Amino acid sequence: MMKQYSDLEFLRLSKWQRFLYRLAAFFCAIPRAIGNFFKNIGGFIKRAAVAVVNEFRDIGVTFVHGDWKTKTSYLVMGFGNLARGQILRGLLFLVFELVFIFYMILAGGYWLSMLPSLGKQGPVEGYDPVLDTYTTIYHDNSFKILLYGVLTIFFIVAFIYTWRLNVKQNKIMEQIIKKGGKLKSDKDDLKSMVDEQFYKTLLALPLTGILIFTVLPIVFMILVAFTNYDGAHNGYQNNLFTWVGLDNFNTMFSWTSNSGGGSQSYSATFGEILSWTLIWAFLATFTNYFLGMFVAMMINKKGIHLKKMWRTILVLTIAIPQFISLLYVSKMFAKNGLINLTLLDWGWIKEPLPFWDDATWARVTVILINIWIGIPHLMLIATGILMNIPADLYESARIDGANAWQQYIKITLPYMLFITGPYLLTSFTGNMNNFNVIYLLTGGGPSNPKASGASGSVGFTDLLITWLFKITTGSDAKYYLASVVGIMVFVVVAVISLVVYNVLPSIKNEEDYQ
Amino acid sequence: MNKTEKRHMGMKALNRVSNGSIYVLLVLISVIWLIPFVFIVFQSFRVESTQQVGYVIPHQWGLQNYINLWNSDFKRWYLNTFIIALASAVLVTIIQLCMSYTLSRFRFKMRGPLMRFMLILGMFPGMLTMIILYRVLADIGLTQANAVPGLILVGFASSGMGYYVSKGFFDTIPKSLDEAARVDGATRLQVLYKIILPLAKPIVIYTVLTAFMGPWGDFVFARYVAMGTSAGYNVAVGMYSWLTADQIFGMYTTFCAGGVIVALPVTILFMCLQKYYVEGVTGGAVKG
Amino acid sequence: MASVKLTNVKKIYDKNVVAVHDFNLEIKDKEFVVFVGPSGCGKSTTLRMIAGLEEISEGTVEIDGEVVNDLQPKDRGIAMVFQNYALYPHMSVYDNIAFSLRLKKVPEDVIYDKVTHAAEILGITEYLMRKPRALSGGQRQRVAIGRAMVRDSKVFLMDEPLSNLDAKLRNQMRSEIILLRQKLDTTFIYVTHDQTEAMTLADRIVIMKDGFIMQVGTPDEVFEMPDNLFVAEFIGAPKMNIIKTKLVVEGGKYYVTPFGSKILVDGDKGKLLAERKVPAGDILLGVRPEHIVLAREGEDAIPCTLVVDEMMGSELHLHVDTEDGTRLIVRVPTLDLTKAQRTSLVAGAKLHISFEGKAMHLFDPETEKNFLT
Repeated sequence: MMKQYSDLEFLRLSKWQRFLYRLAAFFCAIPRAIGNFFKNIGGFIKRAAVAVVNEFRDIGVTFVHGDWKTKTSYLVMGFGNLARGQILRGLLFLVFELVFIFYMILAGGYWLSMLPSLGKQGPVEGYDPVLDTYTTIYHDNSFKILLYGVLTIFFIVAFIYTWRLNVKQNKIMEQIIKKGGKLKSDKDDLKSMVDEQFYKTLLALPLTGILIFTVLPIVFMILVAFTNYDGAHNGYQNNLFTWVGLDNFNTMFSWTSNSGGGSQSYSATFGEILSWTLIWAFLATFTNYFLGMFVAMMINKKGIHLKKMWRTILVLTIAIPQFISLLYVSKMFAKNGLINLTLLDWGWIKEPLPFWDDATWARVTVILINIWIGIPHLMLIATGILMNIPADLYESARIDGANAWQQYIKITLPYMLFITGPYLLTSFTGNMNNFNVIYLLTGGGPSNPKASGASGSVGFTDLLITWLFKITTGSDAKYYLASVVGIMVFVVVAVISLVVYNVLPSIKNEEDYQ
Repeated sequence: MNKTEKRHMGMKALNRVSNGSIYVLLVLISVIWLIPFVFIVFQSFRVESTQQVGYVIPHQWGLQNYINLWNSDFKRWYLNTFIIALASAVLVTIIQLCMSYTLSRFRFKMRGPLMRFMLILGMFPGMLTMIILYRVLADIGLTQANAVPGLILVGFASSGMGYYVSKGFFDTIPKSLDEAARVDGATRLQVLYKIILPLAKPIVIYTVLTAFMGPWGDFVFARYVAMGTSAGYNVAVGMYSWLTADQIFGMYTTFCAGGVIVALPVTILFMCLQKYYVEGVTGGAVKG
Repeated sequence: MASVKLTNVKKIYDKNVVAVHDFNLEIKDKEFVVFVGPSGCGKSTTLRMIAGLEEISEGTVEIDGEVVNDLQPKDRGIAMVFQNYALYPHMSVYDNIAFSLRLKKVPEDVIYDKVTHAAEILGITEYLMRKPRALSGGQRQRVAIGRAMVRDSKVFLMDEPLSNLDAKLRNQMRSEIILLRQKLDTTFIYVTHDQTEAMTLADRIVIMKDGFIMQVGTPDEVFEMPDNLFVAEFIGAPKMNIIKTKLVVEGGKYYVTPFGSKILVDGDKGKLLAERKVPAGDILLGVRPEHIVLAREGEDAIPCTLVVDEMMGSELHLHVDTEDGTRLIVRVPTLDLTKAQRTSLVAGAKLHISFEGKAMHLFDPETEKNFLT
C-alpha cells in the first residue's frame, strides 16, 4: 500500500513529488476501478432483472385489476384510449398495431426467418424459354436480408415498447378516473405538443434521421464483421454471404503472414497503421494547438497594430474549400510540382525532393501541411479564450513578480487547457479520422511493400480510416475486413475518450459551465 | 544614467524589439498562408502550358482555362454542389437547431442517456456506413445521375449529431429568460421563436454558413454515390478527377481556374458573415 | 388576490438529493410572506415550485384552492420577478412590459394604457423606448417589476429581486416595494437571503435551513421568540451572542451563571421555565448585542477586554473578550456616551458589561431548541 497524504501534506511536496504521487495514486486506483466496474455490471444486471420482473408484474396486475376496456387494450391497442374519449392517441396506437401486423405478415416474417442463414438460394443459371437462352436467375439477397432483418428487429422492439406504453396508459387513465380527475382531451394533447411535450416534437425528426441513417447502418456494419461479405460474395449477383463467426477477427489479429512472399501478417500491418494513426493524431492536434495559440497571442499582444487585418488574412483561408487547397498543395509538392520544378530551375537541387515518395518525407510533409490547414481555426478559438481570461489575473501575477514566460506557464496555459479540454479530445479523435487531409494529400502513399499482403494497398501515411476506405473500394472489396477495422477504430477512440473523460474536470460537469 | 533609469529604458527597448520581431513573423505567416491561393489565381490565367511548371507568373495570360471550364461538365457539377449546399443550409440548420435547443433547454428523463448514446455513436467512423448508405440510396434510385437528392437526404438526416456547437451557444443564453417568458404566458414554442431565436441570430447564421460551406468540400461520400457518373458529381469529385495521373497534364490549369470559381462565392459570403463565424467558433465550439 | 397552500411539498433531485423536506405552509390572501435563509436552504426551489418552473416531487401546491401541480407556469395566475431581472434583451422596455399582454392578445390600446400606467408608477416612462442594456441596475429592476405588475396576477413572486443592486439602491427599492405592495394589494411571496429585507418587508417570515422550515412567524415573533438557535443567530444584526453556561435553580427561582456572575431569569421567562419544569444543567444562553450594556464594576458585572471597536455612526459595536476568552459583541448607542467615555474605548481597555434577565434567550444545547417556545 502506498502512503496516503493529507491535503496539507500534499501541498508541501515539490512539483515532481506531486506528479509521482498522483501517478502512483492513479495506478493504485486501477485494481479498485476494475473491481468497481465488475461490481457495477453485476449491480446493473441485477437492477435490470428486477426492472423486467417488475414490468411483467405490473402488466399482470394491470390486467387483473383493469376493467374491460383495459383488458381489451391488451389485444386491441388504443382501445382503452378510444373508449375513454382520447380519439387521437387511440387511433395512433391502433394504426401502429395494424401497420405492424401487416408488415410482419407481408414482409417482416420472411426477413426474420432468413436472418439466421442470410439466404438459402444464390443466383443460378436457368433456362429462359422466352428468350431461349440461359440467363442468371436471382434468388435471395443476403444484403437485403441482413438490412431488413435488422430493421424488423428494430420494429419489433418498437412495437413491444408501444404495447407496454399502451398498457401503462390504461392503468394511468383508470387511476385518474378513480380519483375523479379529468383525462387529457385530444386538444390538450395537441397543445402540449408545443408546450410541455415540445421537446418530443423537436426531437422527432432529428432522431428519426439519426436512427435510420446512422444507427441502422452502424448496427448493420457491426454485423457485417461477422459475415464474409466482400466483392466475391456480394449477396445477390454472385454469391450469397453468410455468418462466419469470429473468423474475420482471427484474420485481422493472426500473427502468421497471410500470403507468403515476404508480406507481413495482418496484425503487423494493423499495428503499423494504428501507431502511425496515433502519432499523427497526437502531432496534428498538438502542433496546431500550440502554434495556433502562439499566433493568437502574437496578434493579441498589446502594441501590435492591425490586429483585425492579421486575423482576417488567416480566417480567409478557412473559407476556401479544403479539397481545393489540399489538392493544390499536394500537387505543388509533387515530384514534378511547382516547388521541385522551381528548385531545379534555380539549381538548388539536382534531384526532385521526394515529398510524397519517401515514408518519412511524406509523413513530415503531411503534418506540416496540416499545420497550414489547421492554424487559422485554432487561432480563432484561442483568441476567443485568451480575451476571456480576466486581466486582473495577469495584473496580480505581474505584481507577484512573474515574467512573461511564467505568466504563460502559470496562467494562460492552465486556463486554456482547462477550457479547451473537451475540444482537444474531440480534435484528437477527429484527427484520427481525418480522412480528407490524408487522402487528398497523399492518398495514403507511398505504398508499403511489406503490407502488400493486406487488402487495400496500404501506404505509409495511411490512417485506419483511409485504409478502411481503400478496403471497401474496388471489385475485391473486403467489406468484412473494413468492418473489423471500423470496430477497432471505435474501440481505440472509446478507450482514449474514457480515460480522458475521467481525468478532465471540465467535461464531467456539464452544468457547471452553464 | 542611474540603475533605475536603465531598467526602464531596457524594458521599453525590449518591447520594441519583441514587437518588431512579431511583425516580421506575422508578415511571414501571412505570406505563407496566402501564397498558395495567389499561385492558383496566377496559374488559372496561364495559357502557354496546361501542366505544372517551375514558375508562377504566366508567360502568356488568357482566359482559355475558364473557357475550358465552361465547355466541360463543370457547369453541371457546380450547379449540383450549389443545390446541395442551398438545401443543406436550410435543412441541416433546422435539424441542428431543433436538436441543440432541445438538449440545451429541456430536462427530460432520456436526455442524459441520449447524449451519451450519440457520443458513442460518434465514435464509430462515419466512413463505415457509406457502403450501406450507398446500397440503400441505390435501391431507391438516388445514386449516380440522381446523386444530388441522395446526398441531400443523407447529409441532413444524420446532421442531428452535430449539435454540440450550437448547444454550447444556447447554453450561454440565461435560462431565466425562458422562465420569465413562460411565466408571462408563452408556450415553449413561443419561447423558442419569440425569445430564443432572435437572441440566437449569430449561431443561426453560423450554422447556415457552415452547412452551406460543407458540401463544397464533400468528397468521399459524394464520389461513392456518384459512382463514376459525371452528371452526379459535385465540384470536389469532378475536379479531383482532373488531377489524376492521366488527366493532370491537360487539366492542371483548368483545375486552378475551377478552384478560383468555386472559392470566390464561398469566400465572399464567408467574409461578409465572418463576424458570426468567429462568434460561433469562439462561443460555441469550445464549450461543446 | 389568492391564498397559497403548500402541503407536504418535497423536492428530490435525482440521486436522492433532497432540496426541500416536507414543506407545509398556508399563505393567506394579500399576505406578504418572505422566505429567508442562507444559500442552498431550498427557499428559491420552493418559490420555483410554486411558480411551476420546478417539478414538485411530492405533495401539493394549491393556489386559490386549486391544485396547480400539473399546471404550466402561465396557467397558474402568477407573476414573477427574477434575481437577474431576465429582461428580454432584444425588446424595448415597452415591449418587455407588454410581452405577456400581447401573448394574451389584449388589444393594443389597452396594452398602451397598462404599460404607461405601470411605467408611471415605477418612474420609468422616459425609458420605454430603450433596450434593457441601456438601463442601470435599478431601472432594470423596475422594468422587471413592471413586467410582473401588468399581468394582474393572483400571486406575486419575487426571487431575490434586490440582491444584484448596491446597498444604497437596495434600501431605496426596498421601500418602493413596500409602496408597490400597498398599490397592488395582492399576495406576495418574496425570497431573500438578507434578514433585514425579510424583517422590513414581511407580514410573516419563513426561515429555512437545509430544506427544512426552522420557524414561521411575524418579524416580531421571530426576533423576540426564536424557536431555535439557528433562527436566533440568523435574525438580527450583529448576530446574537451565544454563551455556554449553566442554569441553576435556587428556591424555585431560575438563575444563569455566565462567567461567574449570577443573573436571575425574571418575569414571564422565569415563570415559563418553572411551569415547564426545565431541569437545571447546561444551557446555551443567547443575548442580543443591543441588550448588553456597559456597567460599573460590581457583583453581576462581567469583566472583559475590548478587542475591536467599530464605529457605525449612531452606534458603536464593541467586540470584547471575557476572561475565559469568549468573544461577545456589544452594541452601544453613541448618544449615551460622554466624550471621555468614547475616547477611553480603545483596544485593550478593560470594561464591565451586564444584561438583564428578560433579555435572555435560553436554548437546549442538545436540540438547540428554545426552552421557552
